Order: sequence, then structure tokens, then C-alpha cells
Amino acid sequence: MPRLASGRRLQALIAKEFSQIRRDRRLVISLILPPVLQLTLFGFALSATVSNLRLGVVDESRTPESRELVATLTESRSFRLGGSYATSTELGNAISQGTLDAGVVIPYRYARDLQRGRPTTVQFLLNAMNANTATIGQAYAEGVMQSYNSTLPRRQTDAGPDGNVAPGPSRQGQVRLVPAFLYNPGLVDSWFIATGVFGLLLILNSSLIASAAMVKEREAGTIEQLLMSPASTAEIIVAKITPLLVLLSLMMLLAIAVLKVVFRVPFHGSLPFVLSGGVLCILSGISLGTVIATLSKSAQQAQLTAFFINPPLSSLSGALNPIEAMPGWLQPLTALNPIHHFAVIVRDAMLKGSGVATLWPNFLALFAFTLVLGGLSIWRFRKQLS
Amino acid sequence: MIQIVRDWRTLALALVLPVVLLVLLSAGLSLRVDHLPIVVEDFSASPASQDFVDAFRASISLHVVPWPVDRRPEDALTSGAARAVLIIPEHFGRDIARGVETSVQLLVDASDANSARLTAGYAGQITRAYNRQRAPAVQRSALVQTAIRLWYNPGLSSKKFYGPGIFVLGLSMFPPLLAALAMARESEQKTILQIYVSSVSAHEFLLGKIAAFTAVALAECLVMLTVLFTYFGLRLAGDPTPFIVATILYAFCVASFGTMVGATIPSQVAAMQAVALGGFLLVFLLSGLIFPIENIPAGLRWISNFIWGRYYIEIVRDALLQGGGWPAVWLKVLIIGLIGAIFYGIAWRGMRRMQLEA
Repeated sequence: MPRLASGRRLQALIAKEFSQIRRDRRLVISLILPPVLQLTLFGFALSATVSNLRLGVVDESRTPESRELVATLTESRSFRLGGSYATSTELGNAISQGTLDAGVVIPYRYARDLQRGRPTTVQFLLNAMNANTATIGQAYAEGVMQSYNSTLPRRQTDAGPDGNVAPGPSRQGQVRLVPAFLYNPGLVDSWFIATGVFGLLLILNSSLIASAAMVKEREAGTIEQLLMSPASTAEIIVAKITPLLVLLSLMMLLAIAVLKVVFRVPFHGSLPFVLSGGVLCILSGISLGTVIATLSKSAQQAQLTAFFINPPLSSLSGALNPIEAMPGWLQPLTALNPIHHFAVIVRDAMLKGSGVATLWPNFLALFAFTLVLGGLSIWRFRKQLS
Repeated sequence: MIQIVRDWRTLALALVLPVVLLVLLSAGLSLRVDHLPIVVEDFSASPASQDFVDAFRASISLHVVPWPVDRRPEDALTSGAARAVLIIPEHFGRDIARGVETSVQLLVDASDANSARLTAGYAGQITRAYNRQRAPAVQRSALVQTAIRLWYNPGLSSKKFYGPGIFVLGLSMFPPLLAALAMARESEQKTILQIYVSSVSAHEFLLGKIAAFTAVALAECLVMLTVLFTYFGLRLAGDPTPFIVATILYAFCVASFGTMVGATIPSQVAAMQAVALGGFLLVFLLSGLIFPIENIPAGLRWISNFIWGRYYIEIVRDALLQGGGWPAVWLKVLIIGLIGAIFYGIAWRGMRRMQLEA
């Protein structure tokens, strides 16, 4: 009964791996701690929200009109008053020292021009060091100024005897843009970041843990003993991978629970779909770790190798930022990144409720990665053993 | 020092990897996007609506992609073909001709909140420009015009913002990593015992180590600065002396951090993890590298006051972009020196403890 014997052998090998992992306290901790800690840390700390920009004011006009403008600017959530300055040089210094994010200069003739109905210009200074903040800040400033402008003509005719301004319909034939934010109406940043970190977590931790587990046997020199046993290499590999897969899948469930409970990410799509994507992702992570392990002689070397692989893998994944923001020559590379495909699956399935119909290419890509990386790891492992 | 030069692999780690990181991460972190795909559904199909759509077509921040008429516009969002859908209602042309205010709808895929904000902002700008063009001359003249000046980075290039940050990240990660590995190796291989029995004092030994890795850090700094000045197109914006002083202090600070970790944790693997946590995770997350510190929830934000990288990032950005000079950064330079001294002190105590045990 060779079949039965081999089945029992596999069982015994898997049991061995489980008890090995159970005794390795650090491994168990690294299965529980990262999902909770990294998800919450990254999710909360990485927020690109632009609000409460510190706005410095140089009010050369010193009139009710100019004060009204300042009040309109600072009553919005986008800007808050960061201080008043006497001259624009002082304002410029404050911006360059980083005490202000933006400044507005209201000219001396502001109120007079307004009363006479003449066009007047208000200067806005924005610290554009952070291009993203500056772009959003610019749109805010223009939006606030537009709504301020739309209130102007009516108020003037109410207040003053000035007859220059036509009191007629102020918004003649104008187009009003009504944006509707789908899938995330509250514009919660953490939904995007946390789902991306989820993908990073699965791949990076799987590869880390797998390489640690593989290298360990080698460092201890017990790999020869395994080879001497009647088990075939395939059995050794399956026995090595199964417990890792089980544990990492538990970690995935834990991470999904964190997404749901801590970040309140909505779940519109099908859970089995996300889970099966996650399992594929873990498998390709494990394979990656195995390949790293077969390339290194010690745990230290394996970790150093990971330093070369992980940063490009995580930064070219679009997990933390939109892919369109990358330079054009780097964008195609993301198609070769399992994290990217998993992040797309998680986001679209969870937030948009997309199903297999739209996500099958990503799913297929993940499957291909698992096959290629898995095949590579088995081939490397065999070569190493023989 | 000789120990370092012999190990070419780690030296490559110190000098080559940071450059790779600089190029890749700056690409992988940038948040500001343009050329966002947008689908237009024009139910009005009038000259006025064509005009309006042309305004969108002409912009560089959004680009209009075709979408088959028989498919629902929402599908463009779920399939990721577009970031937004602009819906122009049937009565658009009539309203414009009558001079009545009319509304158009913009459906934005907000699963990425930041890009959604940008998309809505871009569309708003285009619409405002369109309105301004159409407004009667009398009304146009009464407007308060805004002249927006973008300082320090007028081209709104993300590279210029992230470049200095990643420069700091690389500097906070690799030199301490190497220093920690070297220290832990000494204690793992017990060669440190030779130091103990020799006449070299703890201070001399530590300073020697730190000086070597400060030199490594400075070399790495030079390599990365070359990349910053060429590929990123950055220039020194003002008085370079605070930057030079801060760089030397920071190199000392990170070298001491690595030595401290290596002296207190005598296992190479564990030391590496500690450096990865301290050098990478903390500096990456809590120093304002990508996202403004003000956005970190208050419960976590206080930690960033202790993160050495935070101060150096501010100094580097000041030197390369803002040019505030000494008045803007003197305190930060001082803090870096102080944190470096604290690391040195802890490393020295760790050494003494090991010495007693041995």
C-alpha cells in the first residue's frame, strides 16, 4: 500500500512543520502583530487629506470688504488663519520658514475698486513644495473665491448707491458642476490606503515568513536529514507550504476583520472572491520567499536580499498611490506586480462591488504569478537539494 | 574601516541600493496625478454642450476617453477605464441658450479619495474657466480676480518633493543597518572579546566604529545628492551651511543609532529587524515624508517629535526648495545633534554592560 504510506508520511511531515512553527514564538508573533499594527499605523498615518492649511494674511486695504474676504477664506475647512502680517516680505519669510502654508495679499485699493465696480486682483501665495497639497489647495482657493464673487454684485447693489454694476441675473447661462463621489462619498482616505496595505502585507509577510522557515532548516543543517528520509522533494515542499498557507490565511482573515472593524471599509462584493484572490496572493508570496531562501545561505543574507526586492515591489504596486502618478516608463511594470493585481481586486470588490466579470484579468494574472513563482521555487529547491 | 572595504557586497548595499530606491520610490509615492481618464456622456448633443466638452478635451489634467454609448457609464468606473464620468443633461443646450443656470453631473470614482479630490478640483477649474469665458463683459469686470503664485515648486513636480524625503529615508536606513550588522557581528563572532582585552577603551572603539559609518553615510549622501541634482533637477536654494552642518550631524546620528542597536542587540537578524523598524517604518511613516504630519491622528502625532528623520527632512527640503537658511532651521540642527548624542550615550552603556558580562 504505497499510496496510503505516502499519505501518512505527508501527514507526519505537515504535523512536524506545525509543531516547528508553534515552537517558534517570533514567527507566531510576526503572524499576528503585523496585520494589526501595520494596517492601523499605515491606515491612520498615511492620509493625504488637505485641510486647515495655515493662511497668512497681508491686508493692505483694512476695510470691511477686505475683512469680509478674509473671513470667507478662513471660515471654510480648507484654510485657517495663521496670522496677519504687515508686509508681503514678512509673509514671504513666514512661508519660507514653514510657519505658513499659504498667504493672501489684499491690495491697498481693494475696497475702492470693488465699490467702483472695477476689477481687482488678490494675490495668493501657495507653498507648492508638496505638489499634491498645492494642487488641491489651489482648487480650494479658486472655489472659495468663486463663491465669494458670486455673492458680490448682489451685495453691492444692496449696500451702495453705485450704479455701475448691472443688478440683473448674476449667474446668467452659467454651468454648475455637481460632483457626486461614488463608492466613497465621505472621501475617507484610509479606505484606499488600508486596502493597499492589505495587499502589501500579504505578499511581504508571506515571503518573509516563508524565507525564514526555509532558511532555518538549512542553517540548522537538518535539511540533510529530511533528504535522507524516504519523503520525496514534492512531499517536503507541500508539507512546508501547507502550514504556512493555513497560518497566513488566518492572518488574512484577521486583516480583513481589522479593515472591517477599525476602518469600516464597506464590503459590497463577494467575500469568497476576495479570499480566493488572497490565497493566490499568499501562495505567490510564499513562492517568492522560497526563491529568496534558496538564493541565500543564512537568515541574515535572506533578509538582505529581501531589502533589494521589497522596496521596488511595494513602491511599484500602486498600493499606496495611484498608478497614473508614476512616470510613464514605469507604469507598465506594475502589470508584473502581484500586489498591484491584488490591490485592484480588493478595492474593486470591496468598495465598488465588482465581480468576476470585470476582475478576471487581475485574477488570471495572480494565478499566473503563483504558477510561475511556485514553479521557480520548486525548481530552485530541487536544484539545491540535489 | 578595513572591515568595511573588504565586504563589497554590503558596500554596494550602502551605495547602489539608495540610488535605486531614490528613483523607484519617488515614482511610487507621488500622489499628484494628471491625465486622469474621464468619460463624457453628452445627452444634449448641442453646439453649446460640444463647446463645453471641448473645454474638457483641451485640458491636460483630464483626458477624455471614448466609451460605447450602449454601456452604462458606471461600468467605466467599476472597470477602472475612467476616473470620472461627466453627464451633460438633455436640456443643457436649451438652458444655455436661454441664459438660465444649468447643472451638469460629475460622477467621481472616490475609492481613491485623494485622486477623487483632484479630479473634482480639475473639473471645477475647467468649468469655472468656461463660465468666465461666457460671462457678459460687465459682470466679468466686477469679479475679484485671484492671482495664484506657486512658490518653491512652480511646476508642481512631485519628484522635487519626494526626492529629498527619500534621500533622508535612504540615509536613515542603510548606514545604521550596516553599523548594526557590524556591531552585532562583532559580538556574535566574539571578536569583541579581543577588543575588551586590548587596551582600546569603550569610547575609542565606539567612536572608531561610528566614524567609519559616518563616512559611509556621507559617501552615500554624496552619491544620492548627485542623483538629486541631475535626475531630479534640484538646486541648493539658499545658504548651504546649515545643510552641510546638519548632514554631518545626521550622518553621526544615524551611525550612532545603528551602533546603539548593534551594541544592545547582539544578534544580527534581530538587530536588522530593529533597524528596519526604527530606520524605515518610523522615518517612513511619522516624519512627514509622504503625507503631512498634521494629518496623523493626534494620538500618534506626538511620536513624530522624537523621530530624528523628521527634523532632517525639514532641513533638506528647506535647503533644496525653500532657502530659509539658519533662522528657519537652527533648532532642528540642534535637535539632531542632541538625538545623536543620546544614541551615542545608550550605545556606550550597552558596550559597558556587554563588557561586564564577558
